[in-house]
Formats: sequence, C-alpha cells, structure tokens
Amino acid sequence: MSLEQKNNSRDFIFKGNAKEWFGIWIVNLLLSIVTIGVYSAWAKVRTKKYFYGNTFVDGRNFDYHATGGQILKGRLIIIAAIIVFQIILTILPVVGLFLFIGLILLFPWLITRAMVFNARMSSFSNVRFDFVGTYGRAALVYLLYPILSALTLYTTFPILDRTVKRFTIDNLRFGTAEFKVDIPLGAFYKAAVIALLWVMVVAAAAYLTIASAIIASPEDNPMAVMLTGYAVFFIGLIPAGFIYQALTRNIIYNSTTLSGGHALRSNVSATQLFWIALSNMLVVVLTLGLMLPWAQVRVARYLSDHTGVEIGSSLDDFIGTEQEKATALGDAYSDIEGLDVGLPI
Amino acid sequence: MTQAFSLQGHVYLAVSSRRMAARIEAAPYEGVIWVRVIAEDGQELARAPLADAKIDTALGRTARKLTFDDGTLFETQDHAGFEALDTGTRGARLYALERFGPHLIAFTAACLVAAFLLWRYGLDTIAALAVAATPQVVVEKIDTGTLQTIDFAMAEDSMLTNEEEARARSIYARVLAALPENERNTRDFELLFRAMPAVGPNAFALPGGTIVVTDELIREFPDADVIAGILGHEIGHVVEDHGLHRLYRSLGAYALIALLVGETGPMLEDILLEGNALLSLSYSRAQESAADEFGLTLSHRAGFDPIGLKIFFERLGAGIGDDMQWMSTHPNHSSRVEAIELYIRGLE
Repeated sequence: MSLEQKNNSRDFIFKGNAKEWFGIWIVNLLLSIVTIGVYSAWAKVRTKKYFYGNTFVDGRNFDYHATGGQILKGRLIIIAAIIVFQIILTILPVVGLFLFIGLILLFPWLITRAMVFNARMSSFSNVRFDFVGTYGRAALVYLLYPILSALTLYTTFPILDRTVKRFTIDNLRFGTAEFKVDIPLGAFYKAAVIALLWVMVVAAAAYLTIASAIIASPEDNPMAVMLTGYAVFFIGLIPAGFIYQALTRNIIYNSTTLSGGHALRSNVSATQLFWIALSNMLVVVLTLGLMLPWAQVRVARYLSDHTGVEIGSSLDDFIGTEQEKATALGDAYSDIEGLDVGLPI
Repeated sequence: MTQAFSLQGHVYLAVSSRRMAARIEAAPYEGVIWVRVIAEDGQELARAPLADAKIDTALGRTARKLTFDDGTLFETQDHAGFEALDTGTRGARLYALERFGPHLIAFTAACLVAAFLLWRYGLDTIAALAVAATPQVVVEKIDTGTLQTIDFAMAEDSMLTNEEEARARSIYARVLAALPENERNTRDFELLFRAMPAVGPNAFALPGGTIVVTDELIREFPDADVIAGILGHEIGHVVEDHGLHRLYRSLGAYALIALLVGETGPMLEDILLEGNALLSLSYSRAQESAADEFGLTLSHRAGFDPIGLKIFFERLGAGIGDDMQWMSTHPNHSSRVEAIELYIRGLE
C-alpha cells in the first residue's frame, strides 16, 4: 500500500535486507559474548546505524552518531549504580526507602536525558535532531499524571497517553525546525474503547468456552480460571495493545507537522501488525532466535512502507544547530530497563 | 594510494540539509593525501588532508560517508571505489567479518554453543564468583534487613514455652554439631522463633546463617526427627549459599538478556521474560532438592532418623493437589517424598 498519491508526498523506504543484517547481527552477538557484554555497546551503535542508514526519504537517509565508548561508559555507571542501590536496599532497608524516593525523582531526569541523547545522536540529511523537554515538565508527565491517572482508575489513560506523546513530539527539534502535534482527545478515547471492547469480547468468549468444557463449576476449578487468564492475556490483552498502538500511531503521525509546512503520514493496520508480531514470534522461537534479524527487517520494512511525509517547502532548507554534548546515562538506563525512547520512526 | 582518483556521490553542505551531486577527489600533495569535494559546476565545497576527515566504518550497503571538520558530508554508494580511501583499518576488518559467507555458519554455531554454555554454566560461574566476592559483613546485614522486614510484615513474637524452645534448641545444637567444623565456623548460625499464623508450619534460612522456625512447626510437628530434618534442610541452604546464588543468577540472566539480545520487539519480549522466570523456578526447585539431601545426610549423621523429613512432607501433602509442579518454586510434595525415600535407602 503506497502513501504516494500526491507528487509532494514521499514514502519512507527501508532498503536493508535480512541476509545482510544477519551477518552484522551474528558478529555483534558473537563479539558481545566473547567480550562478556563489553562489545554490546558497539553492537548497539552498529544496529542503530544499520537501521537508520537504510531508512530513506526522498533519497536521503537517517544516521546514528553515538560511539561505542560513550554508550559503554554510560552503561558501566548505571550498572554500578544499580548494584550499589541493591546492596543498600538489602542492608539498610530504611535508607533504601529514601534512596528509592530519590530514584523516583531521578526518573524524569534520566528519561529526558535519554531522549536528548537519542535525538542529538540521530540525523537526517546531515541535520541533527534535538530534544528540549525540561525536567519539570517531564516530572509532571512521568510522575504526577500517572498517579492522577491511577486515581481515576485509568479512565483517564488516553489523556495521560496524549500528554506523553505531546511531550515527546512537541519538544523534538530537527535542526532549527520544530515538530508540532495536535491531536483531538476523542481519537485517543476511541482507540482505547475499541481495544477495551476487544478484551471484553475475548474474555467473555474464553470464559464461556472453557467453563462449559470443564463440567465442574469454574469458581472451584483453579485450572479453568488459569486457562481463561492465559487466553485473555494472549488472545485479548496483547492484540488489544496492538489495536491501540496501531490506531494511535496513525492518529499521531497524521497530526504531526514540522516547520516548513511538512506533515507526517501513517496508515499501519492493527491486524497486519499483529500478524507480523505473531508470526515473527513463532519463527524466531522455532529457529532458536536465528531468524530474529529477518523478523526485525520485516517489521522495519512494514513500518517504513506505511509511513510517509508530505513535503511543504524543500527538504534542502533545514538548518543544523551547534553541536551540543549529551550524556549517555539516560540512554544506558533506558536500555537496561527496556524503555523505548528512540526516534518515533 | 599513489595516484589521483575521483569518485561520484552526493554532498550535504555544512550544518544544512542541502544535498547536491558532487565528486570527491584525492591526490597526494607534499607527502600528504588531500581530499576535495567538487560540485557539478566545478566549485570546490570542502578540502582537507584525508587523515583529518572522519570516515564511518563500512556497514552493509549503507552509504559510505566522509565528514569534514566543518560538518560538510560526502556520501557515495560506490563501495568498491571508496575502499581506496579506507584500507586496512579496523573498520574494514569488521566489515569483512560481517559479510555474508560460509564463515557465518561457524559464527552461528559458536553463538549457539556459547549461548548454551552461558545459560548452563556461565550464569552459575558468574553467580559463584559474585557470591565469593560478597563480603560476609554484607551477607549478615542482609539477614538483619530481611528479618526487620519479616518482623514488620508477617511475624509476631514467639509464643512457645521455655521448655518447647529449649527442646528445639537442643535438637538444633545436635544437628549443627554434625556439620564439619570449617563449614560451621565460616557462618554466623543463629536460631530464631517466630509466630507466623499466616505461614503455618515452616522454617526458612537467610543467607548469613539466620534460621527462623515458626511456632506452628514446633507445635504441629513435635517429633524430634521432623525438626532435625527441617533444620538440616535449612542449614543446607545456608552452607550452599542458595539464596545469594539465586539472587545473582536472576540478576545476571536479566542483564545478559537486556544487553546481548537488545530490542526483540513486542511479544517476543514477553516470551523471553516468561521463559526466564520459568527457568529460574526450575533452578529454585533444584536447590530445594539439594537442601533436602543435605538435611537428610546431616540429621542422619547427628543420630536422628532421616524419615522425619519424609513424614513432614507426607503430612503437608495430604489434602493438597499436586499438579502444576513447573509453576512452583518448590518440588511438589509427592515427588519430594519419593526422592527422599530413594535417598534414605542410599544412606543406609
């Protein structure tokens, strides 16, 4: 499916292929194992460079500029801090409690640093990205709003999610150009309601099928309850996540603009995303992980094929800014905690 | 490079996204090789000694890039031509390793073997090293800290009579005396009693050597052989450092997955974490079985009948369903009783 209908529209194009990426990936893995994890910092750089460097818009590619040394340093500091924190937590639980509160307050800083690092280390067409979100705003978005959302029993989750997306996109810069996202709240609620309906339908269906299959009354049968739980998790919750993400991704991209009259476009489909994730998982598990590179390329290609940009003025007119330093601490933290703060490509 | 050479590509002007067709030329001048970027109209856009320009390591078929100090970027898809500018570097060797070819079969095999060894032995080795590196003071502090948490969350002061406690202590002293002296002296063994109605008849060991026994155990299982078997089991956990091993092992597995595998995408991530949790449960069950054997040997050596541990699990097992062993941190009671019977036969 092509987004290129008007002549000022350009698709994202991913030119990487599984065969080539496999070689890079397996060397990354082997060197990482042989060096007991040290090379993994350089492996990360090669991974990002490969996927960025193969993503094109209008003949120009993205690039990633962090060095392995930078990332290794960040990771060592974060790992040392985690170990010290764990020791203190077990030895002096009371001091640990205060430290824990400190860590919670540190979280918005770490996540902003991670976004700044990722943005500054990424470029498109020789112009670097930047991130200008402040600690205060991040503290509201990542600490206060989640608490408020929990207090309303997550009925305000779409508001929280929209706030997070606004924070990450409105503070993103491309050279001197600014990203701007303007999303109607109703669209988020609609996505959440559709996802929730899916879960409820699956839960009801699973409960009825399994309960009727097992003659004993389900309340007394832990097996039936557990099977229902698994069914709801795998057929209900996980696909619901895809439904929500696919719907909101399209809304977010289609409401994002960049100074100069450029606008992003997305038309991913929840069913296709789910099918790709499900079949990828099966193939990767059955091949002991060896088909992971193929799976990753497949996802990158699908997302690129369904992402585009409507060009306003010329892509030649962006101006870069003075290079600023960035600490890799937040990036290392988000790697270890498995948080996703990369560019929303 | 001895002679002048030229390569077609594109240039991005310094601190700008402007892109235009250009060529790069390299030529020796007074013993130094210089590179120049020239636009199609013949205008020179950048010039520097080759040694001062930054060349990105080749990576698959992504464009080869050469960046000047001022931010001017030249890129080309002409990989073969570009190699003349970038020979014999570390990057070139890495690139050769990554290219698709028969050597990757050997690499793949090496990775599979390494991953298996890492999972089978590496994690244990890492955990053992970490345990050895943990100072005794820290381990004892873990005991103090954990005990505080237990006392706060789920335990009351013991309600045992002095006689009941004295009797349990004398059994404990006999079992501990059966432990080789060097193993007894390296740990700070201590027996504590707590009332824990929610936990029931049970006992647990903290890594530093603190062993906590519930009132419910002493009251419901007054048989000296039972108490001796359970104390032996808990001493086994302490002597073999099970608690710390498990802690380090799970931390190590988590860090390895996060750093080596990196981003796997949705769903796979869930599977990896679930799988890791299930594997660590099987590890915990293996520790329980090892502690059972340790306890049987120790109580037997101390002059108790090892049948005590069997009686305990048989009584506990009565009335509780035994399925779903793979979901539990402990082996189920019936398979435990069987293993104990087998081991007792070996002792006699």
